[in-house]
Amino acid sequence: MSATSATPLLAIRGLRAAYGKIEALKGVDLDIKPGEIVALIGANGAGKSTLMMTIFGRPRAKSGQIEFDGRDITGVPTHEIARLRIAQSPEGRRIFPRMSVAENLQMGADATDCSESDRAAGLERVFTLFPRLKERIAQRGGTLSGGEQQMLAIGRALMSRPRLLMLDEPSLGLAPLIARQIFDAIRTLNRQDGLTVLIVEQNANHALKLAHRGYVMVNGLITLSGTGSELLQRPEIRAAYLEGGRHG
Amino acid sequence: MSAPLPASAPASRAPGAALIFKNAAISALVALVLFSLMIGVRTEAGPDGQLTYWTRFGELATVVALVFGGSIIVELLRQWWGPASETKIIPPSVQNGLAVAGRWIGPVLLVFAILIPVIFYNERYLLDLSILVLTYVMLGWGLNVVVGLAGLLDLGYVAFYAVGAYSYALLATNFGLSFWICLPLAGILAAFCGVLLGFPVLRLRGDYLAIVTLAFGEIIRLVLINWQSLTGGPNGVTGIPRPTLFGIPLTPADDGLAALLRIEFSPTHRIVFLFYLILALALITNWVTIRLRRLPIGRAWEALREDEVACRALGINTTTTKLTAFATGAMFGGFAGAFFATRQGFISPESFTFHESALVLAIVVLGGMGSQLGVVLAAIAMIGGFELFRGLDQYRMLVFGLAMVLLMIWRPRGLIGHRAPTVFLEKNQAISSDLVKEGHG
Repeated sequence: MSATSATPLLAIRGLRAAYGKIEALKGVDLDIKPGEIVALIGANGAGKSTLMMTIFGRPRAKSGQIEFDGRDITGVPTHEIARLRIAQSPEGRRIFPRMSVAENLQMGADATDCSESDRAAGLERVFTLFPRLKERIAQRGGTLSGGEQQMLAIGRALMSRPRLLMLDEPSLGLAPLIARQIFDAIRTLNRQDGLTVLIVEQNANHALKLAHRGYVMVNGLITLSGTGSELLQRPEIRAAYLEGGRHG
Repeated sequence: MSAPLPASAPASRAPGAALIFKNAAISALVALVLFSLMIGVRTEAGPDGQLTYWTRFGELATVVALVFGGSIIVELLRQWWGPASETKIIPPSVQNGLAVAGRWIGPVLLVFAILIPVIFYNERYLLDLSILVLTYVMLGWGLNVVVGLAGLLDLGYVAFYAVGAYSYALLATNFGLSFWICLPLAGILAAFCGVLLGFPVLRLRGDYLAIVTLAFGEIIRLVLINWQSLTGGPNGVTGIPRPTLFGIPLTPADDGLAALLRIEFSPTHRIVFLFYLILALALITNWVTIRLRRLPIGRAWEALREDEVACRALGINTTTTKLTAFATGAMFGGFAGAFFATRQGFISPESFTFHESALVLAIVVLGGMGSQLGVVLAAIAMIGGFELFRGLDQYRMLVFGLAMVLLMIWRPRGLIGHRAPTVFLEKNQAISSDLVKEGHG
């Protein structure tokens, strides 16, 4: 894959965002090229989730620029950003607990102008990826296990046939085995469908092994970037995110 | 989940008699402390203005004994039912029976409703009562869109009912427009008011939304009272025309329906006509709601109730979604209001107090939020129950409050807490209730 030469699908330049007076992003630069998996790692409160939310316009960027496929989306309303086929599986999954699995999935396609055949194809794809969801199709979302809910959140995001999929902490609160399944599914999506993925994780080891490239965020700034394997070798990464506690 | 209690041995896990007595004694002690001053000592101003008091230990003893006995009974009842939150009160066989009954109760009720005027043709009181119940069913279904589906707690729903009623009353009395022209106009005006209310409350949720909608209901009522020149103020609007069967009046006149059909005129014809009118309006409300629920907009309403942030992330425009929910609910309220005006022939602001909003909301909540059939059952229970207990006079509110508290303890999600899914893979699958309970995983 000639990912290195391609123009970025998502380009972020000097992005600043704040909650009231507290600045959460202090000038972030980040590129995601088509067909890439990019991991964004960092400690709690580093601004990873804020970056994802700011791409979606909540909170709005104070300055800087977000470009998606050559178009400036910095000021585009949140619901229209999703229609550009940027999908996200938000932190804490946020599935609709009282609605059935099928309805949850349909919600993913509702806002985009999907034809019936697109919907059927989308469902088919989600079910081959996560056969568990097909078994649970008529159950309420809230009755699923944590791992199944995460599958549902990703499946829901996939229903809009996204060009860029953003995942916020997909392994949060999951058993290691289930987390591995989720990561495998993301890898499959990237390899088979060529899907571009931005993954925000605290589980740096998993995320960097999965990703082509990674960014490390500290206090609202990108401090390091490189290929996944490069970052995994860096002693400061190992100390801070992989063997945390042993050096403390 | 723990295993359900075996029905044959309900007391197997129950606390012993000693514990029950201990709890009852504690309740009695609390009652003694509370009521010793409230009931035990009676004070009154004497003839010279000085304070006189006397004791009523007999009554106090009765109350404390009642609390003691009542607490034992409640505890025993609780054991008999089993723990409400964990186990099935009803054995599976009965539940399956209920599920079958549940599938049939809707159609059976519908057929029964269509036959009511035939069966009870000579019972004017029952016909009037059914019309009243159906009006509340329609209001309940309308509010269900806002509260049950979109999850926007609206305490001012009566405002739209009032707007609909006054729209028809004023258009008909001032411009002589017929009911069938005014009906859609009343709906449109009410929907417009819904959007008007919707805009300022877009960012509000829960308690805050409830307060603003409550205020909105009061504003509309106060406007109706004080805008004397238009609405007639507290005197209301009189002489509202009766509806016609597409231009044919239901009167004993020569061009009336009875004369046209060459049958003897009877005032009941009009009542029967009104009955079928509200039945049709209510069924339209129901049909539209069911249709909408299967469309993306209805799904968006429900998703909005569940998680607004997730909705936005999926590209749902939450502003228009909320406004359409308000407008749709308000429109049905407006239709019901227009019907109310033509049925009564007279309206005044007194009919549109907060009490009405509360009643309709109670119907929706009791019925089980979002359940269409639940609203029907709750409306029958509430309005019918109100009439049933008319003999109890001032105690009927007491009975009613008690019934509601009990219902909310035993069926916290309303009479019909089940939510029917709207999307199916191939066919409508029957799902065991084990799988549709929340809060696991």
